[in-house]
Amino acid sequence: MKIKIQEWDVYSLGDHAIVFSLEAKVDTNIVQCITALATFIKDKNINGIIDIIPSYHTLTVVYNIVQFLNPNTNAREQLTLFSNNLLIDFLNQHKTKTKHQNSIIKVPVCYDIYFGLDIENLSVAKNISVEEVIKIHTSTIYEVYSIGFLPGFTYMGIVDEKIQMARHEKPRMNVLAGSVGIAGLQTGIYPTNSPGGWQIIGRTPWNIFNREETILTKFKVGDLVQFYSIDKNEFDKMNEHK
Amino acid sequence: MSIKIIKKGLSDSIQDNGRYGYQHLGIQPSGCMDIISAWLANKILNNDLNNAVFELHFPSSQLLFENDYTICITGANFVPVINDKSIELNKPIHVSKNDILTMFQPIEGRTCYIGIHAQLTDPLWLGSHSFSKETIQKDVLINFKANNKMDTQNIESNKQLIEEMQKWVFDHHAPIHIIPGPAWTHLSNVSLNALLTYPFEITTQANRMGFNISGPKLTLTIENNFLSSGVTRGTLQLLPNGDIIVLMADHQTIGGYANLGQIILVDLPRFAQFKTGQSFKFELTSLENANQLYRNIYEKFQH
Repeated sequence: MKIKIQEWDVYSLGDHAIVFSLEAKVDTNIVQCITALATFIKDKNINGIIDIIPSYHTLTVVYNIVQFLNPNTNAREQLTLFSNNLLIDFLNQHKTKTKHQNSIIKVPVCYDIYFGLDIENLSVAKNISVEEVIKIHTSTIYEVYSIGFLPGFTYMGIVDEKIQMARHEKPRMNVLAGSVGIAGLQTGIYPTNSPGGWQIIGRTPWNIFNREETILTKFKVGDLVQFYSIDKNEFDKMNEHK
Repeated sequence: MSIKIIKKGLSDSIQDNGRYGYQHLGIQPSGCMDIISAWLANKILNNDLNNAVFELHFPSSQLLFENDYTICITGANFVPVINDKSIELNKPIHVSKNDILTMFQPIEGRTCYIGIHAQLTDPLWLGSHSFSKETIQKDVLINFKANNKMDTQNIESNKQLIEEMQKWVFDHHAPIHIIPGPAWTHLSNVSLNALLTYPFEITTQANRMGFNISGPKLTLTIENNFLSSGVTRGTLQLLPNGDIIVLMADHQTIGGYANLGQIILVDLPRFAQFKTGQSFKFELTSLENANQLYRNIYEKFQH
């Protein structure tokens, strides 16, 4: 199944998912449109839709074949009809809406070299002071473009070119939960201790992933985030990591 | 009422139909690798199809039953032995308190299931008992509350289903069917031809997250670097070195490598049972065919 409605491409992903896709760009308007469509579909509570995954410019909708599709009609035609009607409804409702009004989540980060294992290297490589790195990292309002890699791993952008740096060629064996890193134009937070290749510039005392059903993650795709700098003492006081 | 792990296996876990509804938070769905064999165990035991089962790989965990249970072993044949007596697959088996189940030798397949005619009373996480990348550890108690003792006299009713599903899951000669994905059209002509012509082989790098397969090196006509987007089980991701990794039950929720296509759901159990070194070919199929096959198999388990 493959259709195009205005700027949207819709296509099947195997036999149990479809993808709604916009232009492949890291762009605030695009991700806002994707999350708006995600909410629109979620609110419809459609029988048989089991996962709705927004990420950058795509929305992947996973369905249960038996619950979602009618056995007596051609699957391709059903999916085409479904996507067509859904997008037309969505575009009609969202014509008038413009910019989002999400509040900004302020996230404390300790940039001390005790946590920011790569901040000195990054400052040398980019030929600016550590203070400048912190100033630039904390002055941008980031947007959550995707969550994945690990449960709760938060991909945010867009990082100022002055502090952009590629991943390590060889990932570290263990990056601490809460570590804040840079990978190219993205900045992200490690939810749990794990191997990882991002340039680590600090650590948040927040526990951003919790197995408790009512909490799970602190962020969702489309959220706005701004970091602020705290010192080691403040970190210890706010520390949610066990 | 529990089952004790007295020896830890290589990578065993408890699984069910999986944990859907949380992939937007990066929580992978997990669930049984070979769902058909797991369903078969539950069907034979008159359980709900979603009842939690043990999923074993070889070398497998050794289980001590601290209660009487009726169990059923399906999927891979690892030569199951109770105390020192070997037992049959695909049959309800009564086990008594203090019996020990050992898997002796991997004869056929990669993934074995133990269904229990009992309810797992350990807490659910987000609606599922499926382990999420964790494995079963030594000395752990898995708490199954036994149902009434099962009548194993009248078991002929599932005979045909067992035969059909065994044939389906362990047919090593049938091709693995795929539906083209978004990066399909970016494959070079030579690669596209190679993907559908030459055999591929399961490598030693294969686990619940994904199976690395080896075969002809494939190339794209564009750079293999995409913004991450949602993936499903059965997704064929093209790695930068030209090899393919097939995403399995514990797959990451998003991926940034070229998404070449998906193995259809009904062929995944067969693929999941392939041992290291097993060779196979890919073949294209239609969405229509994939959906119809899935529905056929699903419906066979409904009565």
